[in-house]
Amino acid sequence: MVKFSLEDSDPYYLTLSEQPKRFDADSPVTNVFFDDTNGQVFTVRSGGVTGVTVNSMDESKCTSFRMEDKGPIISIKLSLDQKVLAIQRNNEGQSATVEFVNFKDLSPTNVEYSHTCKWKNSKILGFVWPKANEIAFITDHGIELLQVLPEKKQLKTLKSVSFSGAWFSWCARSNIVVLAGNNGALLQPFYFNNSTIVKLQKLELESSRPVVERDVCMVLVADVTWCAVFRHALTTIAAPGPTEIWLMPLSGSGVNYTHVLKTGLMGRFALSVVDDLIAVHHQSSQTSQLFDIMEECKVENNSVTHLPLVPAHTMRPAVVDEQPCPIWSTDSGNWVMFQPDYVIDARRGCLWRLSLAPAALAHNIQKEEIGKIVSCLLRRRGGADVVHRLLAQLVASAHLYLLQLTDAFDQINSVYSNVITCSLCVRALACGGGAGGRLRALLRRGALSDSRPLACQLLSLARLHPAATQLALDMMYRLRAREEIVEVLLSCDEAVSAVGAARQLDPAAWLGLAPRKLLAAAHAHAAQRAQPHAFVAVYHALQARNDTTRGSPHFLKGEQCESYVEYYEKVTAER
Amino acid sequence: MIDVESKINSFFIFNSTFGPKEGEELKRILFFHPSQISADARKIQVGLCEAVVKFMSTFSSEPCEALQTQTKRYIFYQPEKNYWMVLVVRIPYATKALSSIGEKKGDMVQPSIMQNLLVTAYKMFRMFVGLFTDVPADVIYTKCQQFFTPYILSRCITNDVINVIQGINYLPLEKNSFLKIVCFIDLLEINFQDFKCIGFIYNEQLIWNGLSTDDMLTLYQYLVQSLLPKQVEKEIQGGAVTAAQRHGRFITPCDGIHTDEDIDKIIKVYLKLEDDTETKQYYLIIYRTLSATICLTVYADKTLELETLKSLDAFIGPQLYSIASTISKQCTLHALQNAQLANTENKFLYFNRINLAFKSSVPINSLSPSAAIKPEVLNIIAGIHSDRKSLGNYGEIIIKTLDEYWITGKSSNEREFYVIIQKKNANVIEIAEEVKQVCEAQMKGIFFYPM
Repeated sequence: MVKFSLEDSDPYYLTLSEQPKRFDADSPVTNVFFDDTNGQVFTVRSGGVTGVTVNSMDESKCTSFRMEDKGPIISIKLSLDQKVLAIQRNNEGQSATVEFVNFKDLSPTNVEYSHTCKWKNSKILGFVWPKANEIAFITDHGIELLQVLPEKKQLKTLKSVSFSGAWFSWCARSNIVVLAGNNGALLQPFYFNNSTIVKLQKLELESSRPVVERDVCMVLVADVTWCAVFRHALTTIAAPGPTEIWLMPLSGSGVNYTHVLKTGLMGRFALSVVDDLIAVHHQSSQTSQLFDIMEECKVENNSVTHLPLVPAHTMRPAVVDEQPCPIWSTDSGNWVMFQPDYVIDARRGCLWRLSLAPAALAHNIQKEEIGKIVSCLLRRRGGADVVHRLLAQLVASAHLYLLQLTDAFDQINSVYSNVITCSLCVRALACGGGAGGRLRALLRRGALSDSRPLACQLLSLARLHPAATQLALDMMYRLRAREEIVEVLLSCDEAVSAVGAARQLDPAAWLGLAPRKLLAAAHAHAAQRAQPHAFVAVYHALQARNDTTRGSPHFLKGEQCESYVEYYEKVTAER
Repeated sequence: MIDVESKINSFFIFNSTFGPKEGEELKRILFFHPSQISADARKIQVGLCEAVVKFMSTFSSEPCEALQTQTKRYIFYQPEKNYWMVLVVRIPYATKALSSIGEKKGDMVQPSIMQNLLVTAYKMFRMFVGLFTDVPADVIYTKCQQFFTPYILSRCITNDVINVIQGINYLPLEKNSFLKIVCFIDLLEINFQDFKCIGFIYNEQLIWNGLSTDDMLTLYQYLVQSLLPKQVEKEIQGGAVTAAQRHGRFITPCDGIHTDEDIDKIIKVYLKLEDDTETKQYYLIIYRTLSATICLTVYADKTLELETLKSLDAFIGPQLYSIASTISKQCTLHALQNAQLANTENKFLYFNRINLAFKSSVPINSLSPSAAIKPEVLNIIAGIHSDRKSLGNYGEIIIKTLDEYWITGKSSNEREFYVIIQKKNANVIEIAEEVKQVCEAQMKGIFFYPM
């Protein structure tokens, strides 16, 4: 098996942000909450007065404040505009109530109020902020969407939907919440849009294999919201198979098939989305797998099966306090993944974001996989540069990777047209001695786009092959590089034609052309052949030019043409 | 008036050093056509030429090129030292009375065409047999006999565009299709390392060339004028094309390669590959599917195995079939465009001396010689084409004939461009302007030296 490895690449395709955002670690006196909508970590220290620290990757969303301790907190989240803080507490008897504190400049004001859900004896499973001034209470009886009026210290019900759910999953990026009903055999998505709640088509699972809360999350990939469900094998059977991840599209996306990601592993998993790739983290092996659901594949029975893009590998180890920080180490349980790409180590007090290192995708891969990787890289944000490096490397040893190059360029062609080829060809041209014939053929066929660097490279080959000059001049002509053409003709000892080309320039450029240069070229031409005609023709053309610009055919002193005037007089006198 | 059109009066090759003594004159004649000419008559003809050539050498270091008598024109060509090839045609001559009426001389075969025929004949011989000097003296007579007899019989010298300007007709292709072909060739050469693709032809148009331009022209002429027409005829006669034919086959030897004996029949040729410095001997393997023909070479010192050729067949067959289908679709489009070209009022010819590309508004096809250009006009073009020096690196000439034909010849950057305009009461300025327009319309993206 021939392996290919991109130069200067390493195997870590997933990396954590270089500097984690630090916060006070989880301890008996502190509780840590994470709000994936705003990307904020809330550290709550209780005892007497509650001290709250809010940390986020976004410095403008960090703050700390104190508030009265009114009981243990279940959930705490700021509104999208950071103007209202909502708190849900675990207080006996008033579980259907959420407290609100108005905020100003990330500090609490003394305006506090609370709101109780319309289903008085329901249990609030949680709440989300779909819009700046809208909050949705997700309860076991249904969803209530409310408008928050901070000035009036009031909330107004906008819409409510009844649904008997046990837990929910929320996707802040698409404003969709999925409630689990029927003991986890039914997933009902709701979409918050225009201050109302839209019930989307339900997802039904086999009642024999219901799902639990930690096995469901919502992801936005390729502009479609998917409900990702871990399908573990039944533990009741003797030899349970590996876990699959099902990505079920939510209605309205125009997609009607399920993606099945084959992990080939069993155990506990977590899921992230980086650059539209799905990263599946496996706890016991401490590795992550990448799946590209945009890869070309066949739809069978309304589902598409995917295998990991590259073999599973660990993330690049993080360094915390100058100590390598093991990922999901055996003493773990403190690493939590949030959508889309947050990683939290509550014990150490670190918040990271995951990102893709595209170059690692081309690290040590099967030769046959190059095309697939190129096509995948083309869909990644930072992929173009890697594709460029990869192609340059393939070209350098083209004899080994010919098929792959074809494949790679086919992939590129289907995405871009001709962006990268040019610079590669110039390189190939510069070093390729024996491939001249092929190059000429490609140029004549217009298979290489015209460009000035390419034309100049060609000119430098002119001594080796006369066709190069022809091709270069044609290319410059198509590029309308008229001034360069004049120079080329002069260097080709074609003074008369150079004057002709110069006259096709815009008038200013023609009038500004130094006469000495033209006369020198014409003189060289004449001296070489002992034939003064071309020189005389050029001389006359320049005299005519002088006449139109200055009213006199003579050259100026500063133009340093005396020796040529002499030569002209000599040759014309001979006649 | 004698009808001499396209008739070769005689064609012979001699080397005076082969029988220097008296009585050995016949030894000097390596080949003589027509064969029915008596030995004495041969001696007389060759003797005359020997004498002329020898006589002329006292005046010039350049070899003698031609001799014209009242009834015949002799063209001499000395491809290798002491080896002379001579082509003789009869000149239409008439009595004074007739010629004074204004009998046209236009039908007379151009010397440049005769010269071309000799050069082509020699190059063809060199490709298939080798240099004269390399052929052992005892077999040279039979070798020449075997090669030149059928060759000369198949040739006719007519004033035709393709004989005046010997070029290669390239197939214009959209770049992705072209790259597909290049990829296919690369793959083939990588999988079959001994094999080198030297030519890819669709119908009669060249797409890919791997030879030095000179040799490419010879191979191209062999394919387009000799091998492929026979093949096409066979395919047409064959009626329903068999599945085997559709999926491609070796066309040299003509019955394909099926047994070890067939391998011995594969022809060997002397060729110079592109970007190579010397001529070497190769096996020439030609494969065809639908209208696509691919030429491959293998060093002659390699041993060809039947197994290799079978797997080559299996490799090329399906791929070439799909490529040929792709090209065929594009050709339909081109045919439409060409139909429009032919409809343009003004005729033009284009020739690039660097890659021998030839393009014309007049349909050129060896099966239907173009009658679209009047002989006098063609003669003028032949004159401009063969007199390369007078136009120099770049230049333009406009010639008007008596019957209101304006012929413009343009030379620039190793290219030639001819426009033929028939227009009454025109002046040079108008014609020059019109030529400029034709040039801009037909030669997009090609740089002509400005003057």
